[in-house]
Amino acid sequence: MPLNTILLLGAALFCIGLAVVVTRKNAIAVLIGIELMLNAANLNLVAFSRFDAVELQGQIFALFVITVAAAEAAVALAIVIKVYQHFQTANLDKINELKG
Amino acid sequence: MIDLNDIISTTEFNPLIYWVIALMAIPLLSFFTTTFLKKIAPVWGTMLLGINLLISIYLASQYWDTTGVSIRGNWFSIGDTQLTYSFLIDQLALIMLVVVNFISVLVHFFSMEYMRHDENKSRYFGLLGLFTFSMLGIILFYDLLFIFIFWELVGLSSFLLIGFWFEKKSASLAANKAFIMNRIGDLGFITGLMILYSQFQTFDLEGIKSLTVLSSIEDGNWVAEYFKNGELVRNSLDGRWLSAAGIALFCGAVGKSAQFPLQVWLPDAMEGPTPVSALIHAATMVAAGVFMIARIFVILDAQALEVVAVVGAITAFMAAVAAFSQFDIKKVLAYSTISQLGYMVLAMGVGAYTAGLFHLVTHAMFKAGLFLSAGTIIHQLHQLEGKDVNFDPQDMRVMGGLRKYMPVTFVCFLICALSLAGLPGFSGFLSKDAILLNTAVWVDEKGGGFYFIEVLAFATVLITAFYTFRMIFLVFTGGFRLPKLIPANATLKPLKEGNVFLKLPMVLLAIGSLSVIFGFAMMAENTWFYSLIQDPIFLVPESYAAFNLMDLPREWFENLHFQVVAISIGLALSGIIIAYFLFKPGAKYSASFAEKREPIGLVGQISFYHWYQNALYEKVILKFILWKAKRIAWFDRVILDGFINFIAKFQVVFAHLIAWFDRNIIDGFVHLTTYTTGRVGQLTRSVQSGNVQVYIMAALAFLILMLIWLLF
Repeated sequence: MPLNTILLLGAALFCIGLAVVVTRKNAIAVLIGIELMLNAANLNLVAFSRFDAVELQGQIFALFVITVAAAEAAVALAIVIKVYQHFQTANLDKINELKG
Repeated sequence: MIDLNDIISTTEFNPLIYWVIALMAIPLLSFFTTTFLKKIAPVWGTMLLGINLLISIYLASQYWDTTGVSIRGNWFSIGDTQLTYSFLIDQLALIMLVVVNFISVLVHFFSMEYMRHDENKSRYFGLLGLFTFSMLGIILFYDLLFIFIFWELVGLSSFLLIGFWFEKKSASLAANKAFIMNRIGDLGFITGLMILYSQFQTFDLEGIKSLTVLSSIEDGNWVAEYFKNGELVRNSLDGRWLSAAGIALFCGAVGKSAQFPLQVWLPDAMEGPTPVSALIHAATMVAAGVFMIARIFVILDAQALEVVAVVGAITAFMAAVAAFSQFDIKKVLAYSTISQLGYMVLAMGVGAYTAGLFHLVTHAMFKAGLFLSAGTIIHQLHQLEGKDVNFDPQDMRVMGGLRKYMPVTFVCFLICALSLAGLPGFSGFLSKDAILLNTAVWVDEKGGGFYFIEVLAFATVLITAFYTFRMIFLVFTGGFRLPKLIPANATLKPLKEGNVFLKLPMVLLAIGSLSVIFGFAMMAENTWFYSLIQDPIFLVPESYAAFNLMDLPREWFENLHFQVVAISIGLALSGIIIAYFLFKPGAKYSASFAEKREPIGLVGQISFYHWYQNALYEKVILKFILWKAKRIAWFDRVILDGFINFIAKFQVVFAHLIAWFDRNIIDGFVHLTTYTTGRVGQLTRSVQSGNVQVYIMAALAFLILMLIWLLF
């Protein structure tokens, strides 16, 4: 499989994730989008690790990213739950208390 | 060379100070307490003054033979300037103490009956206390500044007592007049104080006298040299200031002692209660001026003394003329007082110090006696007034024949009147003759135009006897005129003699008007008064000093003495005889007297209107002052106010300009700044939408821009 195809897939995934993050109203959907973007990055890392067959630095970095993403998801979900408890909604358009 | 600080140094402690303080504190206590004691105020005030009289008699007996005890202390210091207070208890002060307290007690006693029905009598007695306090201050202090302070207090109490019945318009006006006239005189007093202070830098009379002796005339300048705080002070003034100081101080006496040209207040002052007139406006306060001249006598120079003598003679004559046509018994006595004060001032002017003070004392007795007798008459006549009987109890036109109703009053009045007229056997004779004799000798020495003083002085004797006996004939002889003047249907209560409160003071004062009080003497020189008080020697530099009468040969006095006595007795008797023929019961003037409204003929008019002096003041001086006041008011209103208004208007216009500038330019800047800041704030605020996705979009856009910039 040529590298270009993988990079294009990653870019497509990133763009989809970004689109989800920017357009969806629900905080959880936004989180999902963020996960997509992270995984698009992981895909790139893994793809580039093909050129480093000995040390596999890309794959190891991808593993770290997955771990951090898991932690991030946990924290983010906790925040979302708290936000929901506080505002009785998860709609990001409604949660704009920091408006200047 | 003398050190000023030595002269005015504090004296050793002397227990006499307690007596001095007591003398002044007791009348002051009376002033402060009587207001609260409604019913017993008269008794209380009289008792306090009685104590004061006893103290002064005790002091007189203790210090009779001493040459004078001086007590001095430091009042306060400002920088190098030390102000002292000092008392001098000499024979003059002692005699004045006894006389003032004696008459004050009698007047208090008299007032207990006279003011019995006045609801404000506690205030009245308080004011009498205030007056006595201030008068004693003048007598006891030997420091011109303190004398001036008490001088003003005396003026104040006089003002308050003249205006005692202030609900009467005429009384309050008279009080104002007295106060203003006195103020004009006091201006002179202050001027004199300033001249003396600038020369000697002390108000202490002892200091002033000591330094005057040492001052000298150099090239027409009056030079005083002395040490002050160890430094040599050399003050030099034009020599004329020496005369000016004396004349200026004399101006104070002119106001207080009712001398020409300020004497117009005294006849009006008769609006006060009659006992007050007796105490203040006859016996004591008006004599304060003479007393003050006596205190400063030795620093008066020849010119000042000439002024004093001329003023005295003019006053004596003018007032005597004014006295002989008045209808109001108190007015007669008032003019008579002015006239006699003129005599005292004349005596001072000719250098007859002792004679002037002697006349002060004798006059205090017989004039107070006359006033109290007149007060008795007024009081008893006042009792007759009722619902349908209205008359002026001071008007001699309602009197007549009172001898039958009030014999004691008549006798007292007659004795005092004989004393006033100056007949042998009565005290007035001794003192008036002494004045006339000294005046005659002085005029002989001076010569020239000064003979008119002698003429005026002797003419006054004749007129005095005339008006005095005119009054006696009109008041005490003939028939009682009042019953004819009242409505026919009105009933009149019978006229009675006054009770003991009225009688006792009168009798005592009448006794005091007999010459035996002053010794069995036909000449003033042989009385105990003359042995106590001698003419002092002038202390001013020689070229300015007047000659001392005692330096003149004694033969002059002896040669003139018989003539003077003969002429004055002759004049007095002829005055009495003229009065008898004009005003005896049934005589021409006596018969038409009751119907008269005002005297006819030039002399009568001049007399009745007191030489038109009041009219002159009203027509000329008052008019001039009012005219000047109007001009000044115009100047004030148009020029000064105009200028100020112009400035104010300019300010307002200018302020409007500034306000416009402020509002538009300065505020414009501020508003621009705030507006800009606001807009910027608005702008930047809108970015902070609070919407998380917008932030992400912004970050993304920025990222893309960064990428484009980095890549291309």
